[in-house]
Amino acid sequence: MRKFIFLLGMVVLASFLLTAEVGSQAKKPTQKEPIKIGSICDFAGPCYMYCETGLNGLRIAIEEINAKGGILGRKLDLIVRDTEMKVDVAVRELKDLILREKVNFLIGPCSSGTGLAMQVVHSEYKVLRISAIANTEAMTVDKFSPYFVQVVPNTYMEATANTRYLHKKVPNAKKFCTIAPDYEFGRREEAAFADEIKRLVPDAEILYQAWPKPGEKDFTAFITAIMAKKPDAVHSSLFGGDLVAFTKQAAPYGFFNIPFIALYDLPVLMALGPDAPEGTFGFGRGCFFMDPNPKMMAFVDKFKKARGTYPDAWAVQNYDAMYLLKAAIEKAKTTDTEAVIKAIEGIPFEGLRGKFTIRPLDHMGTVPCYQGTIAKDPNYPFKIWKDIVRVPGEEVIRPEESVREIWKKTGVVR
Amino acid sequence: MSLDVLFNQFMSGIARAAMLFLVASGLSLTFGVLRILNFAHGSLYMLGAFLSYTLWKSLLTPALGFYLAAILAAIIMGFFGIIIEFFLLRRLYARGWPEQLLATYAIVLIITDIVKYGWGGEFLSIPRPKPFTGAVFLFGFPFPSYNFFIILLGLGLVIFLWWLVYRTRLGDIIRAAARDREMVSALGISIPRLFTWIFVLGALIAGLSGAVTAPFGSVALGMDIEIIVECFAVVVIGGMGSLPGTLLGSFIVGEVYAFGIMFKPELALAFIFMVMAVVLIIRPWGIFGKPER
Repeated sequence: MRKFIFLLGMVVLASFLLTAEVGSQAKKPTQKEPIKIGSICDFAGPCYMYCETGLNGLRIAIEEINAKGGILGRKLDLIVRDTEMKVDVAVRELKDLILREKVNFLIGPCSSGTGLAMQVVHSEYKVLRISAIANTEAMTVDKFSPYFVQVVPNTYMEATANTRYLHKKVPNAKKFCTIAPDYEFGRREEAAFADEIKRLVPDAEILYQAWPKPGEKDFTAFITAIMAKKPDAVHSSLFGGDLVAFTKQAAPYGFFNIPFIALYDLPVLMALGPDAPEGTFGFGRGCFFMDPNPKMMAFVDKFKKARGTYPDAWAVQNYDAMYLLKAAIEKAKTTDTEAVIKAIEGIPFEGLRGKFTIRPLDHMGTVPCYQGTIAKDPNYPFKIWKDIVRVPGEEVIRPEESVREIWKKTGVVR
Repeated sequence: MSLDVLFNQFMSGIARAAMLFLVASGLSLTFGVLRILNFAHGSLYMLGAFLSYTLWKSLLTPALGFYLAAILAAIIMGFFGIIIEFFLLRRLYARGWPEQLLATYAIVLIITDIVKYGWGGEFLSIPRPKPFTGAVFLFGFPFPSYNFFIILLGLGLVIFLWWLVYRTRLGDIIRAAARDREMVSALGISIPRLFTWIFVLGALIAGLSGAVTAPFGSVALGMDIEIIVECFAVVVIGGMGSLPGTLLGSFIVGEVYAFGIMFKPELALAFIFMVMAVVLIIRPWGIFGKPER
């Protein structure tokens, strides 16, 4: 009997100690410890600029949130890492962020290559990442992971939307050429263009497809080769410095008499200045002149004051990514990854680009795509767009059946 | 396919060849005399382009501004060349190839970071200077007049280098030093000083070619590696250190690429390196090169 009482006492004592231990452990992190946000940037080559401006957008969002007391009473802590646009460095830095820094959430990167490589790793460690620059469809569709959320229109949505715009502008065009940078992004955009144009114009013909390498500086031979085919219109997913070079080299040939659409967004138009071809079509992911709503313009003022320049879509998307995360954490009332993922699926969200949500099936944001026609504007020292169309993501997102069909091939089970 | 279309494509190839020659000639020259494979040549070209942008912005004299900026950028790159040669390369002539490559690659990384620090990651652009803004017509086809400017500049450089190397006393010394530097040194000619000047000339050409490509395309990070790879193809095909070889190599690479783009765009880049591989098999020292002694 005595033995029994002693044993009982021990059990009671042990369970008391155990609960106390667990209790103190559970209490510690929720009390005022900062929420750590890991930002992964590709500070190299063409991605350098996108990451720099994107990071500025992210910083402004974090400063704003912290000034208002953080999320769930916890401040945000930003930790920035550079992948040098190399897959091995990306994985190493990512592991360090997860294992040593113990970040709660990840935002980034710019390159589809480093993004895809990282997806495997952070999914394994069950850390949520939001992509705010890279937009290959492979991240949401082919290689779907529940630990990944996309707030940039992916290659499929973007190309589908801008193909419709091109078709609306030149409904009689039947013969097309394409020119796109020769890697993941360019290949996927042009594949989506080919699909969509055949839906819109059943007898459409793609005469010639040019694939300059990313970073190409001399497009002369591509330009003359395209013009020799005499197409009705040209679809392109050239962007950044490549598009600047292409535009300057193509203009003297009278190339822009052919209807042409490419990623003429803010940095390209600013770099081109007077050389930007008026009347040519552009597409983009949402900067101030594409969507001049009050929320966006307030952000522009703040950004200009802080950084001395106009924010482009990369800054907007990073800013939106941070606020989306905030909304999801507040809805979940915890920073627990699984709960936040549950909260983010189908969340009603209003960002700088208006309303969108995250589709539960593949975590693709129903973010808008923008197209317009290049034109002068007396309010800006560079050319912007007119005839602007905002295509809500719901209209161009890949249908769920189609996503499931691809998943059958790539082995994604959901 | 009509003849005029082919001619047009041929001219595109010539424009590209001229651009490649501008950069590759400096690379080949430094290699021919100094026997150093300057991996940083493309970086000097990139820095020249960024410098010309800043100078052009600050000069703000629209008519002459760009030309003046280009010349100034080239001169500054020449001075930069003195620094590199005097403090680094001079100490490496006697060392092996791996060390030389590592050292020049270090310069590549340093210049990349200088550019990042000084200009950020933005891509920049200079409008085409007058009178090369428009196009001229060849057989009814437009051809950008700025491309003509680059072709003329390339031709000018060919003539200048040919004159310098084959028609001057300095050229005699250069050619002699390329063959046997001990012998030249024994004749009382200062080899270190000669080497400095050759490297400076190479850096100057790199800076100038960077500056003139600024209005042609865009100025951006990564343009250094992009050009150096193709320049290596040029000098390997033509022959390291040979002026006519560099000219022929530029022509072959430019035209193979232009017609590759027209007929088999997916393989255009591969064609260049196939040609390079064939040359390496048949004549490992390049078409106009001389076998290493």
